[in-house]
Amino acid sequence: TIRPQTYSNVADNSGARESMRIRVPGASNRQYASIGDMIVAVVREAVPNMPPKGSEVVRAVIARTRKGLNRDNGMAIRFDDNAAVAIDREGNPKGTRVFGPVARESRECHFAKTVSSAPEVLRGIRRNRMMLR
Amino acid sequence: MASDSQAEDEEQEDALLSDEEEETEEEDEEDNVDVDVLSNEEIDALMKEYGNVVRSDPEPRKSSAEDANADAEALSMATALATAANEVKAVDIKLFHVKPLIYWARYFLIASAFSMPQVNAIVGRIEDIAQEQYGKIPRPSGKPSGWTLMDFDIYTAGDVVVHIFLPSQREFYNLEEFYANAPLVELPFVSESSSSSTARSDAEGESEEEMISLS
Repeated sequence: TIRPQTYSNVADNSGARESMRIRVPGASNRQYASIGDMIVAVVREAVPNMPPKGSEVVRAVIARTRKGLNRDNGMAIRFDDNAAVAIDREGNPKGTRVFGPVARESRECHFAKTVSSAPEVLRGIRRNRMMLR
Repeated sequence: MASDSQAEDEEQEDALLSDEEEETEEEDEEDNVDVDVLSNEEIDALMKEYGNVVRSDPEPRKSSAEDANADAEALSMATALATAANEVKAVDIKLFHVKPLIYWARYFLIASAFSMPQVNAIVGRIEDIAQEQYGKIPRPSGKPSGWTLMDFDIYTAGDVVVHIFLPSQREFYNLEEFYANAPLVELPFVSESSSSSTARSDAEGESEEEMISLS
Protein backbone atom coordinates (compact mmCIF):
# COMPACT_ATOMS: atom_id res chain seq x y z
CA THR A 1 0.00 0.00 0.00
CA ILE A 2 1.26 3.40 -0.86
CA ARG A 3 0.16 6.14 1.46
CA PRO A 4 0.57 9.86 1.06
CA GLN A 5 4.20 10.83 1.43
CA THR A 6 5.40 7.39 0.53
CA TYR A 7 8.57 7.39 -1.48
CA SER A 8 8.75 4.96 -4.32
CA ASN A 9 11.38 4.23 -6.88
CA VAL A 10 10.57 5.17 -10.39
CA ALA A 11 11.04 2.03 -12.36
CA ASP A 12 11.45 3.38 -15.83
CA ASN A 13 13.82 5.44 -17.91
CA SER A 14 11.74 8.59 -17.86
CA GLY A 15 14.47 10.32 -15.90
CA ALA A 16 12.93 10.43 -12.47
CA ARG A 17 14.46 8.24 -9.84
CA GLU A 18 12.31 8.63 -6.79
CA SER A 19 8.90 10.02 -6.35
CA MET A 20 6.71 10.80 -3.42
CA ARG A 21 3.04 10.11 -3.57
CA ILE A 22 0.69 13.00 -3.09
CA ARG A 23 -2.76 11.80 -3.96
CA VAL A 24 -4.80 9.26 -5.73
CA PRO A 25 -6.72 11.10 -8.40
CA GLY A 26 -10.43 10.63 -8.56
CA ALA A 27 -11.19 10.09 -4.90
CA SER A 28 -11.14 12.86 -2.41
CA ASN A 29 -9.47 11.29 0.54
CA ARG A 30 -8.23 7.96 -0.55
CA GLN A 31 -5.54 6.68 1.73
CA TYR A 32 -4.14 3.63 0.09
CA ALA A 33 -2.92 2.98 -3.36
CA SER A 34 -1.73 -0.39 -4.45
CA ILE A 35 -0.41 -2.17 -7.50
CA GLY A 36 -2.25 -1.05 -10.60
CA ASP A 37 -3.47 2.23 -9.17
CA MET A 38 -2.61 5.55 -10.62
CA ILE A 39 -1.17 8.10 -8.24
CA VAL A 40 -0.14 11.69 -8.44
CA ALA A 41 3.39 12.09 -7.19
CA VAL A 42 6.12 14.64 -7.03
CA VAL A 43 9.52 13.79 -8.36
CA ARG A 44 11.97 13.84 -5.53
CA GLU A 45 15.08 12.77 -7.25
CA ALA A 46 15.81 12.83 -10.90
CA VAL A 47 18.53 11.88 -13.30
CA PRO A 48 20.35 15.07 -14.23
CA ASN A 49 19.68 16.66 -17.59
CA MET A 50 16.46 14.82 -18.20
CA PRO A 51 12.95 16.21 -18.47
CA PRO A 52 11.51 15.48 -15.04
CA LYS A 53 13.01 17.84 -12.58
CA GLY A 54 12.99 17.50 -8.86
CA SER A 55 9.67 18.87 -7.60
CA GLU A 56 7.79 18.28 -10.80
CA VAL A 57 4.39 16.74 -10.32
CA VAL A 58 3.80 13.61 -12.35
CA ARG A 59 1.31 10.83 -12.55
CA ALA A 60 2.46 7.29 -12.08
CA VAL A 61 1.17 3.76 -12.00
CA ILE A 62 2.28 1.60 -9.15
CA ALA A 63 4.13 -1.41 -10.40
CA ARG A 64 5.46 -3.02 -7.24
CA THR A 65 4.79 -2.68 -3.57
CA ARG A 66 6.35 -4.23 -0.54
CA LYS A 67 2.92 -5.11 0.69
CA GLY A 68 2.07 -6.82 -2.52
CA LEU A 69 -1.23 -8.35 -3.29
CA ASN A 70 -3.25 -11.51 -2.93
CA ARG A 71 -4.70 -13.25 -5.87
CA ASP A 72 -7.86 -15.27 -5.87
CA ASN A 73 -6.07 -18.48 -6.56
CA GLY A 74 -4.40 -18.18 -3.19
CA MET A 75 -1.07 -16.82 -4.29
CA ALA A 76 0.42 -13.79 -2.68
CA ILE A 77 3.12 -11.76 -4.29
CA ARG A 78 5.35 -9.23 -2.56
CA PHE A 79 8.23 -7.20 -3.84
CA ASP A 80 11.32 -5.79 -2.26
CA ASP A 81 10.61 -2.19 -3.06
CA ASN A 82 7.86 0.22 -3.88
CA ALA A 83 8.07 1.22 -7.47
CA ALA A 84 6.01 3.22 -9.90
CA VAL A 85 6.15 3.98 -13.58
CA ALA A 86 5.67 7.58 -14.69
CA ILE A 87 2.79 8.13 -17.07
CA ASP A 88 1.14 11.09 -18.66
CA ARG A 89 -2.45 12.10 -18.27
CA GLU A 90 -3.63 9.69 -20.91
CA GLY A 91 -1.95 6.70 -19.38
CA ASN A 92 0.97 6.47 -21.80
CA PRO A 93 4.25 5.74 -20.07
CA LYS A 94 6.67 8.62 -20.04
CA GLY A 95 9.73 6.46 -20.39
CA THR A 96 10.29 3.81 -22.96
CA ARG A 97 11.26 0.88 -20.77
CA VAL A 98 10.28 -0.33 -17.37
CA PHE A 99 12.87 -1.82 -15.07
CA GLY A 100 12.26 -4.79 -12.93
CA PRO A 101 9.27 -7.07 -12.83
CA VAL A 102 5.71 -5.83 -12.65
CA ALA A 103 2.69 -7.70 -11.46
CA ARG A 104 0.22 -8.51 -14.15
CA GLU A 105 -2.55 -6.72 -12.32
CA SER A 106 -1.46 -3.45 -13.86
CA ARG A 107 -2.69 -4.85 -17.10
CA GLU A 108 -6.08 -5.58 -15.75
CA CYS A 109 -6.26 -2.06 -14.38
CA HIS A 110 -5.99 -0.44 -17.80
CA PHE A 111 -2.24 -0.07 -17.85
CA ALA A 112 -1.29 -2.69 -20.35
CA LYS A 113 1.21 -0.31 -21.89
CA THR A 114 3.41 -0.44 -18.82
CA VAL A 115 3.28 -4.17 -18.99
CA SER A 116 4.27 -4.09 -22.65
CA SER A 117 7.51 -2.29 -21.90
CA ALA A 118 8.35 -4.39 -18.90
CA PRO A 119 11.02 -7.04 -18.92
CA GLU A 120 9.15 -9.39 -16.70
CA VAL A 121 5.52 -9.73 -15.84
CA LEU A 122 4.91 -11.84 -12.80
CA ARG A 123 2.12 -14.22 -12.36
CA GLY A 124 3.80 -15.93 -9.48
CA ILE A 125 4.74 -19.52 -9.06
CA ARG A 126 2.25 -21.89 -10.49
CA ARG A 127 1.40 -24.60 -8.10
CA ASN A 128 -1.72 -26.54 -7.42
CA ARG A 129 -2.55 -26.28 -3.81
CA MET A 130 -3.41 -29.67 -2.56
CA MET A 131 -4.27 -30.76 0.87
CA LEU A 132 -3.30 -34.22 1.95
CA ARG A 133 -4.81 -35.63 5.04
CA MET B 1 11.64 -47.04 11.47
CA ALA B 2 8.91 -47.91 9.05
CA SER B 3 6.05 -46.59 11.20
CA ASP B 4 8.08 -43.56 12.12
CA SER B 5 8.57 -42.73 8.55
CA GLN B 6 4.83 -43.11 7.98
CA ALA B 7 4.04 -40.54 10.67
CA GLU B 8 6.79 -38.30 9.47
CA ASP B 9 5.44 -38.63 6.02
CA GLU B 10 2.01 -37.43 6.97
CA GLU B 11 3.47 -34.52 8.83
CA GLN B 12 5.48 -33.67 5.84
CA GLU B 13 2.45 -33.98 3.66
CA ASP B 14 0.84 -31.35 5.80
CA ALA B 15 3.94 -29.31 5.26
CA LEU B 16 2.89 -29.11 1.65
CA LEU B 17 0.21 -26.69 2.78
CA SER B 18 2.84 -24.17 3.62
CA ASP B 19 4.96 -22.49 1.06
CA GLU B 20 7.27 -25.33 0.29
CA GLU B 21 8.11 -25.19 -3.33
CA GLU B 22 10.16 -28.31 -3.27
CA GLU B 23 7.81 -31.20 -3.04
CA THR B 24 10.87 -33.31 -3.40
CA GLU B 25 12.03 -32.54 0.09
CA GLU B 26 9.88 -35.32 1.51
CA GLU B 27 11.26 -38.54 2.75
CA ASP B 28 10.45 -41.54 0.78
CA GLU B 29 7.62 -43.58 2.22
CA GLU B 30 8.91 -47.03 1.58
CA ASP B 31 12.42 -46.23 2.52
CA ASN B 32 15.04 -48.80 2.54
CA VAL B 33 17.32 -46.28 0.97
CA ASP B 34 18.03 -42.66 1.82
CA VAL B 35 16.04 -41.31 -1.00
CA ASP B 36 14.93 -37.73 -0.56
CA VAL B 37 12.95 -37.56 -3.68
CA LEU B 38 9.47 -38.79 -4.31
CA SER B 39 8.77 -39.47 -7.91
CA ASN B 40 5.71 -38.01 -9.55
CA GLU B 41 3.99 -41.36 -9.62
CA GLU B 42 4.51 -41.79 -5.92
CA ILE B 43 3.10 -38.38 -5.23
CA ASP B 44 0.11 -39.17 -7.39
CA ALA B 45 -0.39 -42.38 -5.50
CA LEU B 46 -0.25 -40.54 -2.20
CA MET B 47 -2.72 -38.03 -3.51
CA LYS B 48 -5.14 -40.71 -4.58
CA GLU B 49 -4.89 -42.43 -1.27
CA TYR B 50 -4.92 -39.53 1.10
CA GLY B 51 -5.61 -36.49 -0.86
CA ASN B 52 -8.52 -34.16 -1.11
CA VAL B 53 -8.57 -31.34 -3.57
CA VAL B 54 -9.76 -28.37 -1.59
CA ARG B 55 -9.09 -25.67 -4.06
CA SER B 56 -7.76 -25.77 -7.54
CA ASP B 57 -6.23 -23.18 -9.73
CA PRO B 58 -8.92 -21.10 -11.40
CA GLU B 59 -6.54 -20.68 -14.30
CA PRO B 60 -5.74 -24.30 -14.97
CA ARG B 61 -3.02 -25.16 -17.38
CA LYS B 62 -4.58 -25.72 -20.73
CA SER B 63 -4.24 -29.05 -22.36
CA SER B 64 -2.06 -28.89 -25.39
CA ALA B 65 -4.99 -29.55 -27.68
CA GLU B 66 -6.90 -26.59 -26.29
CA ASP B 67 -3.80 -24.53 -26.48
CA ALA B 68 -3.26 -25.37 -30.11
CA ASN B 69 -6.86 -24.36 -30.81
CA ALA B 70 -6.30 -21.11 -29.02
CA ASP B 71 -3.15 -20.54 -31.03
CA ALA B 72 -4.97 -21.11 -34.28
CA GLU B 73 -7.84 -18.88 -33.28
CA ALA B 74 -5.50 -16.17 -32.11
CA LEU B 75 -3.60 -16.32 -35.37
CA SER B 76 -6.73 -16.08 -37.47
CA MET B 77 -8.05 -13.23 -35.39
CA ALA B 78 -4.75 -11.41 -35.51
CA THR B 79 -4.54 -11.67 -39.29
CA ALA B 80 -8.17 -10.58 -39.60
CA LEU B 81 -7.45 -7.55 -37.45
CA ALA B 82 -4.33 -6.80 -39.45
CA THR B 83 -6.39 -6.89 -42.63
CA ALA B 84 -8.93 -4.60 -41.02
CA ALA B 85 -6.21 -2.15 -40.11
CA ASN B 86 -4.86 -2.30 -43.61
CA GLU B 87 -8.26 -1.42 -45.01
CA VAL B 88 -8.24 1.76 -42.99
CA LYS B 89 -4.83 2.54 -44.42
CA ALA B 90 -2.72 1.94 -41.39
CA VAL B 91 0.90 1.67 -42.34
CA ASP B 92 3.77 -0.50 -41.25
CA ILE B 93 1.56 -3.26 -39.96
CA LYS B 94 3.55 -5.97 -38.27
CA LEU B 95 2.36 -9.06 -36.54
CA PHE B 96 4.72 -10.50 -33.98
CA HIS B 97 4.31 -13.93 -32.52
CA VAL B 98 5.32 -13.13 -28.96
CA LYS B 99 4.16 -16.28 -27.28
CA PRO B 100 7.69 -17.67 -26.90
CA LEU B 101 8.72 -14.48 -25.14
CA ILE B 102 5.74 -13.55 -23.01
CA TYR B 103 3.21 -15.60 -21.22
CA TRP B 104 0.46 -13.02 -21.24
CA ALA B 105 0.02 -12.56 -24.97
CA ARG B 106 0.33 -14.56 -28.11
CA TYR B 107 0.43 -11.97 -30.82
CA PHE B 108 1.26 -8.32 -30.96
CA LEU B 109 -0.14 -6.40 -33.84
CA ILE B 110 1.66 -3.12 -34.30
CA ALA B 111 0.44 -0.52 -36.74
CA SER B 112 0.97 3.15 -37.40
CA ALA B 113 -1.58 5.80 -38.16
CA PHE B 114 -0.96 9.36 -39.12
CA SER B 115 -3.60 11.22 -37.19
CA MET B 116 -5.93 10.78 -34.27
CA PRO B 117 -9.05 10.50 -36.44
CA GLN B 118 -7.31 7.72 -38.31
CA VAL B 119 -6.43 6.03 -35.03
CA ASN B 120 -10.07 6.23 -34.04
CA ALA B 121 -11.09 4.80 -37.38
CA ILE B 122 -8.71 1.89 -37.00
CA VAL B 123 -9.89 1.26 -33.47
CA GLY B 124 -13.48 1.27 -34.60
CA ARG B 125 -12.80 -1.02 -37.50
CA ILE B 126 -10.86 -3.49 -35.41
CA GLU B 127 -13.51 -3.53 -32.73
CA ASP B 128 -16.19 -4.15 -35.32
CA ILE B 129 -14.36 -7.04 -36.91
CA ALA B 130 -13.49 -8.58 -33.58
CA GLN B 131 -17.06 -8.31 -32.41
CA GLU B 132 -18.68 -9.60 -35.57
CA GLN B 133 -16.35 -12.37 -36.52
CA TYR B 134 -15.02 -13.52 -33.17
CA GLY B 135 -17.33 -12.07 -30.60
CA LYS B 136 -14.47 -10.47 -28.70
CA ILE B 137 -14.49 -7.12 -27.03
CA PRO B 138 -11.24 -5.44 -26.15
CA ARG B 139 -10.43 -4.98 -22.53
CA PRO B 140 -10.96 -1.37 -21.54
CA SER B 141 -7.69 0.47 -21.60
CA GLY B 142 -8.28 4.16 -21.68
CA LYS B 143 -8.87 6.63 -24.44
CA PRO B 144 -7.14 6.42 -27.78
CA SER B 145 -3.99 8.49 -27.77
CA GLY B 146 -0.52 8.52 -29.24
CA TRP B 147 -0.18 4.92 -28.25
CA THR B 148 -3.48 3.11 -28.40
CA LEU B 149 -3.67 -0.37 -27.11
CA MET B 150 -6.39 -2.97 -27.55
CA ASP B 151 -6.27 -6.15 -25.60
CA PHE B 152 -8.26 -9.14 -26.79
CA ASP B 153 -8.73 -12.38 -24.90
CA ILE B 154 -9.10 -15.74 -26.41
CA TYR B 155 -8.82 -17.59 -23.17
CA THR B 156 -8.11 -16.01 -19.84
CA ALA B 157 -4.84 -14.49 -20.92
CA GLY B 158 -5.10 -11.73 -23.47
CA ASP B 159 -3.92 -13.23 -26.64
CA VAL B 160 -3.93 -10.58 -29.26
CA VAL B 161 -2.73 -7.17 -28.28
CA VAL B 162 -3.06 -4.45 -30.85
CA HIS B 163 -0.81 -1.40 -30.63
CA ILE B 164 -1.61 1.58 -32.77
CA PHE B 165 0.96 4.30 -32.78
CA LEU B 166 1.47 7.68 -34.25
CA PRO B 167 4.77 7.45 -36.12
CA SER B 168 6.68 9.58 -33.62
CA GLN B 169 5.40 7.52 -30.74
CA ARG B 170 6.27 4.32 -32.46
CA GLU B 171 9.86 5.42 -32.72
CA PHE B 172 9.87 6.69 -29.19
CA TYR B 173 8.64 3.49 -27.59
CA ASN B 174 10.37 1.23 -30.08
CA LEU B 175 8.47 -1.92 -29.17
CA GLU B 176 9.80 -3.63 -32.23
CA GLU B 177 13.26 -3.47 -30.79
CA PHE B 178 12.07 -4.66 -27.43
CA TYR B 179 10.38 -7.64 -29.00
CA ALA B 180 12.90 -8.11 -31.73
CA ASN B 181 13.29 -11.77 -30.89
CA ALA B 182 9.69 -12.45 -31.70
CA PRO B 183 9.17 -13.98 -35.11
CA LEU B 184 7.20 -11.94 -37.56
CA VAL B 185 4.14 -13.50 -39.04
CA GLU B 186 3.59 -13.05 -42.71
CA LEU B 187 0.46 -11.16 -43.53
CA PRO B 188 -1.78 -11.97 -46.48
CA PHE B 189 -1.44 -8.49 -47.83
CA VAL B 190 1.42 -6.18 -48.45
CA SER B 191 1.60 -3.49 -45.86
CA GLU B 192 2.38 0.03 -46.84
CA SER B 193 5.48 1.44 -45.40
CA SER B 194 5.37 5.01 -44.23
CA SER B 195 7.63 7.25 -46.27
CA SER B 196 9.76 8.16 -43.30
CA SER B 197 10.63 4.57 -42.59
CA THR B 198 12.49 3.78 -45.78
CA ALA B 199 15.75 4.34 -43.95
CA ARG B 200 14.66 1.94 -41.25
CA SER B 201 13.55 -0.61 -43.76
CA ASP B 202 17.08 -0.77 -45.09
CA ALA B 203 18.38 -1.57 -41.65
CA GLU B 204 15.79 -4.20 -40.80
CA GLY B 205 16.63 -6.37 -43.77
CA GLU B 206 14.89 -9.67 -43.20
CA SER B 207 11.60 -8.36 -41.92
CA GLU B 208 10.94 -6.03 -44.77
CA GLU B 209 10.39 -8.51 -47.58
CA GLU B 210 6.67 -7.94 -47.45
CA MET B 211 6.90 -4.18 -47.37
CA ILE B 212 6.79 -2.05 -50.42
CA SER B 213 7.41 1.62 -50.05
CA LEU B 214 5.27 3.74 -52.26
CA SER B 215 7.18 6.35 -54.08
